[in-house]
Amino acid sequence: MMGWLRKTPDEVRAASFRDAPAGPVSEYLGVPFPSLRSRLDEVPLLALDLETTGLDPSGDRILSIGFVPVDGREIRLGGACHLLVRSELEVGQSATIHGITDDALSTGVPLREALVRTLEALRGRALLAHYARVETEFLAAACRAEFGAEPVFTVVDTLWLGQEWLEHSLDAIPRGHLRLWSLRDRFRLPRYKAHNALTDALSCAELYLALTDELGLGTLKQAYSR
Amino acid sequence: MVGMDIEVSEVVDFLAGQPPFSELPRAELIDLAQQMTVRYFRRGSIIIELGARNDSLYLIRSGAVDIVDGDGLLIDRNATGDTFGTLTLMREQPAPYRASAIEDTLVLMLPGARFVRLFEEHRVVADHFAPRQRGRLRRATEQMQEASSPILRLSAMDLVTRAPITAAPTVSIREAAKVMTQHRISALLLTDGELLRGIVTDRDLRSRVVVTGADVEAPISEVMTKRPVTVGPETRAFELLMVMTGRGVHHLPVVVGERVVGLVSAGDLMRLETSNPAFLVGDIGKQDDVAGIAQVVSRAPKLASQLLAQGAEADDVSAVLTAVADAATQRLIELALVELGPAPAPWCWVALGSQARRELALGSDQDHAMIVADDAPALDWHLALAERVVAGLAECGYPRCAGEAMASKWCLRLDEWKRQFGQWLSEPESEAILHSQIFFDMRAVAGEASLHVELRDVVVPMARRSTRFLGHLAAMAVRREPPIGFFRGFVVERSGDHKDQLDIKAGGLHAVIEAVRAMALAAGVTETGTASRIEGLRTLGRIGDEQAAELLDAFHFIALLRIRNHVEHTLRGERPDNFIDPDQLTPGQRRHLREAFGVIRRAQRGLEYQFQTHLMN
Repeated sequence: MMGWLRKTPDEVRAASFRDAPAGPVSEYLGVPFPSLRSRLDEVPLLALDLETTGLDPSGDRILSIGFVPVDGREIRLGGACHLLVRSELEVGQSATIHGITDDALSTGVPLREALVRTLEALRGRALLAHYARVETEFLAAACRAEFGAEPVFTVVDTLWLGQEWLEHSLDAIPRGHLRLWSLRDRFRLPRYKAHNALTDALSCAELYLALTDELGLGTLKQAYSR
Repeated sequence: MVGMDIEVSEVVDFLAGQPPFSELPRAELIDLAQQMTVRYFRRGSIIIELGARNDSLYLIRSGAVDIVDGDGLLIDRNATGDTFGTLTLMREQPAPYRASAIEDTLVLMLPGARFVRLFEEHRVVADHFAPRQRGRLRRATEQMQEASSPILRLSAMDLVTRAPITAAPTVSIREAAKVMTQHRISALLLTDGELLRGIVTDRDLRSRVVVTGADVEAPISEVMTKRPVTVGPETRAFELLMVMTGRGVHHLPVVVGERVVGLVSAGDLMRLETSNPAFLVGDIGKQDDVAGIAQVVSRAPKLASQLLAQGAEADDVSAVLTAVADAATQRLIELALVELGPAPAPWCWVALGSQARRELALGSDQDHAMIVADDAPALDWHLALAERVVAGLAECGYPRCAGEAMASKWCLRLDEWKRQFGQWLSEPESEAILHSQIFFDMRAVAGEASLHVELRDVVVPMARRSTRFLGHLAAMAVRREPPIGFFRGFVVERSGDHKDQLDIKAGGLHAVIEAVRAMALAAGVTETGTASRIEGLRTLGRIGDEQAAELLDAFHFIALLRIRNHVEHTLRGERPDNFIDPDQLTPGQRRHLREAFGVIRRAQRGLEYQFQTHLMN
């Protein structure tokens, strides 16, 4: 109830912008988000994926960031970026999951620089991710630590779009069917062998095009996660 | 930038697996990927609308796309790795087709300007995308011929080991015989300077001098063979033997223009290794019974496979198989003649169909006929000959013709043949044409070749005037519609139907053969071979150089695939058929076949236009 009183993401952004100290987060927040009334054909998004050492934003850290812009119905590969985050800490056992070794990370950029580049790319765009909570929470925690301010986002989450779609077609959603790769299979999107942040961001972007088309979504308002 | 990777490896790796991008350096692929966008099209949605402008190259990442023309005809069905949109890009004209997703489809799109640059900078890209490119099928055929074939390529000149021994035609017979003895040669060339005037052989000295008691002091020109049969230096070894058997000679002067450069004897050919086709052909002539001939003929598939392995073209292999069939026929006739005694009237044994065109493959039926001189009182003797040869050929592995196009049925006097052709030509019923087509490919194999020449000289002009007949012939040729291409291991027919196997004879080879035959008969071209007919049509200006070249290339490419398929079947002990599983073809072969089908369709469109076949039913 009272949902109509809830602030739009852009209203939240404007409020956060007023409070934010000067810096990369403020610069990001200074650019308006796409309007919720915009047709999806025109909405700019940034498909984003983070590889992290674990799932706890307060304890775990970001290892790599991959993103690729989506302009309306087109994924722009030219804007794709894959950033490895350099760190003094060792990767430890998580290397077995994401395949990023300490050697690889030693060639990376400092977290601060990776965040600056990511916020730059996100300006004026909706954040598109699969189970976006990981991306939003890790970015918020990292920005707070590095810049003393938290960004806010307009989020489009392919996991929730996938759930909506599966609810149309199935009574109960079998376990595992909402995973990025399972959903892609259902749309017969190609199987990608690599598992890195950029590939996953691209995978998510492709899935977004398929899901919004299949669901017949017209505006950002129908697609964004509240 | 350190730590920053802008290579979208999934896309770059994908490009690296798709021709022609697979031939480009990785740096170029990385740049291409950065220029690309990805789009998703739901099943049933239109990607490029008919008549729309298009400014991108589309590469299918997943899914499937149909290309359909303005009349709703399926032009192409594309799957992962296939491209479309180039035609509109390169000609900068509205799309003459509609591209629509028949499955949920993900495409990579490259901006037109970047594609044009790629096209201009990389030969492989230009080769791949040039809509029709002279020589592309030719190169594809050459690529299939893994190595060059020393044995098959062996030419007349390779067999010439020394300068020819010559004498002037004015020397005496005795002097000539002395030269031959001195040089231990069985034939002497008589020349004026380097110009060939005649030839004399050991056999001539026996039959024309000793037996007749001629004066040995007379000039050799009185007993020499004037205007002997000659060959060019490029004539291949097995062809030499065919000329020798066909013309009944054992020595062939090799000439360049009118200049004699050497002499090849049957003995030279016999000394070649047993794997040479000439050896096999020669061996048949030495057999004294049907079983012996059958035994030699049974070595032909093995020989064909060796030739293919050595890089032979379909033309070469078919020529060898034809030579084997000719030799078997000739030897069977010789053996029958021993039993039957002299013929009561002259006759000519003619091959029909593929053997007549020298395009024999493995497992072909026997197709032949006999032309008997008009003064023959009865045909009993000739029919008896036919029966024996038919039975003999069957024993040699040439199945009796299901349509009974065999001399045992088709043994007619010359006059009767003329009437028969007249009937076929004047009352063309489609059923009759179906069966009579094969008789328009006719070649003399044994007996009085002049009978065949006389028949041909009547039939060719008659056929040329028979508009209705030619129209029917063209309509039938056009009906053999080649598939449009391949899609995920299936053959895609024009109707959109998928088939498991490609019938390379019905939809490919015969479409060319029949189209070319119709055009050749209409133009009065007398040659029977498809390649020679194409050349004949080109010389007469009936088809352009470009069309002649592409038609010939398409024909050679399809014929090679077919004969390879035949040989593989035969070596596995199976009966050769004309069906090819698309999965057994390489992606390149599938692409080239699709191109060959396109060439055939264009020829058919030309035929439709020329003969207005839509007016026939």
